[in-house]
Amino acid sequence: MSATTAPPVPVTQGRTVERGPSGGVLNRRRGKVATIIMLVLAIVWLFPLLWALYNSFRSYSYTQTNGYLSFGGWTTENYSNAWSRGNFGLHLKNSLLITIPAVVITLFLSSLVAFVLARFSYRFNLTLLGVFLAANLLPPQALLIPVFRMFREIPLPTFMSESGTMLNSFWALILVNTAFQMGFCTFVLSNYMKTLPYEIYESAEMDGAGIWRQYWQLTMPLVRPALAALATLQVTWVYNEFFWATVLISRGNKLPVTSALNNLRGQFFADTNLVAAGSIIVALPVLIVFFVLQKQFVSGLTLGSTKG
Amino acid sequence: MTGSGSLDRRSSTVPASVQALGRRSLLRGALGAGALLGVPTLLSSCGGGDAKPSGSGGGASAKAGPVKFGMNEAKGSGPAYERLSAMADAYAKKAGVTVSQNAVDHNTFQESISTYLQGTPDDVFTWFAGYRMSQFATNGQIADLSDVWPIDGMSDAFKKSATAEDGKQYFVPSSYYPWAVFYRKSVFEKNGWSEPKSQDDFMALMKDMQGKKITPFAFAAKDAWAPMGTFDILNMRLNGYDFHMELTKGKKNWDSPEVRRVFETWKTMLPYQQENALGRTWQEAATSMAKGECGMYLLGTFVVDGVPKETQDDLDFFTYPALDQSIGADALDAPIDGYCVSANAQNEDAAKAFITYLGSAEAADVANNSASAPFIAANSNASTAKYGALQKKSVEVVQNAKSIAQFLDRDTNADLANTVITASLQEFLKNPDKIDSITTSIQQQAKSILG
Repeated sequence: MSATTAPPVPVTQGRTVERGPSGGVLNRRRGKVATIIMLVLAIVWLFPLLWALYNSFRSYSYTQTNGYLSFGGWTTENYSNAWSRGNFGLHLKNSLLITIPAVVITLFLSSLVAFVLARFSYRFNLTLLGVFLAANLLPPQALLIPVFRMFREIPLPTFMSESGTMLNSFWALILVNTAFQMGFCTFVLSNYMKTLPYEIYESAEMDGAGIWRQYWQLTMPLVRPALAALATLQVTWVYNEFFWATVLISRGNKLPVTSALNNLRGQFFADTNLVAAGSIIVALPVLIVFFVLQKQFVSGLTLGSTKG
Repeated sequence: MTGSGSLDRRSSTVPASVQALGRRSLLRGALGAGALLGVPTLLSSCGGGDAKPSGSGGGASAKAGPVKFGMNEAKGSGPAYERLSAMADAYAKKAGVTVSQNAVDHNTFQESISTYLQGTPDDVFTWFAGYRMSQFATNGQIADLSDVWPIDGMSDAFKKSATAEDGKQYFVPSSYYPWAVFYRKSVFEKNGWSEPKSQDDFMALMKDMQGKKITPFAFAAKDAWAPMGTFDILNMRLNGYDFHMELTKGKKNWDSPEVRRVFETWKTMLPYQQENALGRTWQEAATSMAKGECGMYLLGTFVVDGVPKETQDDLDFFTYPALDQSIGADALDAPIDGYCVSANAQNEDAAKAFITYLGSAEAADVANNSASAPFIAANSNASTAKYGALQKKSVEVVQNAKSIAQFLDRDTNADLANTVITASLQEFLKNPDKIDSITTSIQQQAKSILG
């Protein structure tokens, strides 16, 4: 393709700075290449999901005799079987009872920290932020034994936990998830809050607003897009959390829904189509949250990114 | 192990002191402070044994009370859950106590067993015989159940499976399933084949299958444990049960000529096995046997779950034939499932009363009568009315076996089995010529793991 076939560079006022000499961020040829790469990547990412979706609607006995590269054996039974065998009703409720408090507490606590870190300059501000971030980088596996032993020693009244300790209680999971997610949330929120113009706070102070009011009535409404984006991410992460649930919970009726997927596997035998149907059921709430909050998610993450 | 009649005689007519002799001499062989500390309690438990009414089991005297029952089957997951739950309910009704059931799916339960036992374990929980059990006994995580034994209807082989290194019992068997060579009756009939009785028959059968373009053995190694079944049976056929058990306990070497011979023999058998086994699950291998693409499949009786419904009745099996006449074919893998009492059970007496019930023929009958599929009860007094043809044959095969192994990953240290041996067997299947380096590497790692 010669340079002459390249389209004329659309010149929009004030935006020309961003366009390179070769004609825009993406000219037609680059655009094509980029599209193809993205298409391939999208297929690579989507294929396993679509494959699972496809096979979740087929009966195991059909795929067993005809192989997976066949067409037919349609059924919706996998879904009803998965729902009843996996006890998804109970386990989805468990997941809800863990995820919602954990996300709310995480966002509340980390917004408090972020507010202080962004609004006041203490000498150890950066250190504090660093500590929060470092804790976020620590692999949870490294803390398995200390956390497990600690929770075993912390007594809880029996109305809070049947076992009398933190083990086997939702409190343990809410606490652990909150602790592990706070670092990231604090980091994102404090960066976001730093982009808010300082003048707002000066005028607020002139009008006699105290610190609490500056936080609750001024900052929180302004960071709502960031909170929405974080809430979306946090719901996904806490909901998908598997590691701590299997370590801290050993009572079958308290396990969250991700662990309940294992209920669909037998000691030896696994009906893969049934497991596929179960996985789709488990993935649905996350997908719904994502699609509903998609707009906030994208705008929340990019807002403020150019202002540094 | 012989018929059930002689089993009862064994437990009722042999004086307790004679049985204790075996335990004591076993103990003498064991070294270490733990074993020495165990002596007084062992002697006192033997003394108690004399006073016990024979056959009924000491646990019967334990007082019933509320118990927590940890079950390794998820609620509603199928017959295995139905059986456990039915037994718990029947006991609760009979003894007038509450049994709180904690149902966790099989794999999660097994994988998190060490945090489970260190955390808040249930009083009684489902577990496996063999090293997997005796490991916890050595660590003091499960309770001594020697006063629950002898159990009416449990043979000596089962008692042996419940006995840990210190010579005491820590386990009550519930059920078992044998590993054998499965085949489709109709395929054998059509081709005029019959169950091989000797090695010559066996080789001739495999050659004939190959000639008819049927792969003799279905084989899968994607489930890393699956090839262990072949190793176990070849080792037991070539070197005998005692060697096999000593090998799993680290008393014999993995790089010994005996073990190398097992791999050499396996190598000569590889042409008779399905190729590219590393990418195949056992379910796929079972399917290819069901379709008649493969003639036979060495697997546990759970193979029936992997074949379509209409072929299930067509399945039959035989035990792996002798490869060495001096050793014979009287040993096989038959993993035993059962129950343990956790060391920090809140009420040990109540736990023992419950576990005694679980080991009884009555409990086995309750389980089999209320579930959609029965298990093969370890208790020989249990009714066999519900058994299918394969299960009836399994009972016979296991009763005729002189020695029962638990399967490699239950007979040896879990780390050795699940990280070293699985990888090594897969390596062997990839490079069957590297027997020397593979056996040497297993031995080195076995030495560092087993000490």
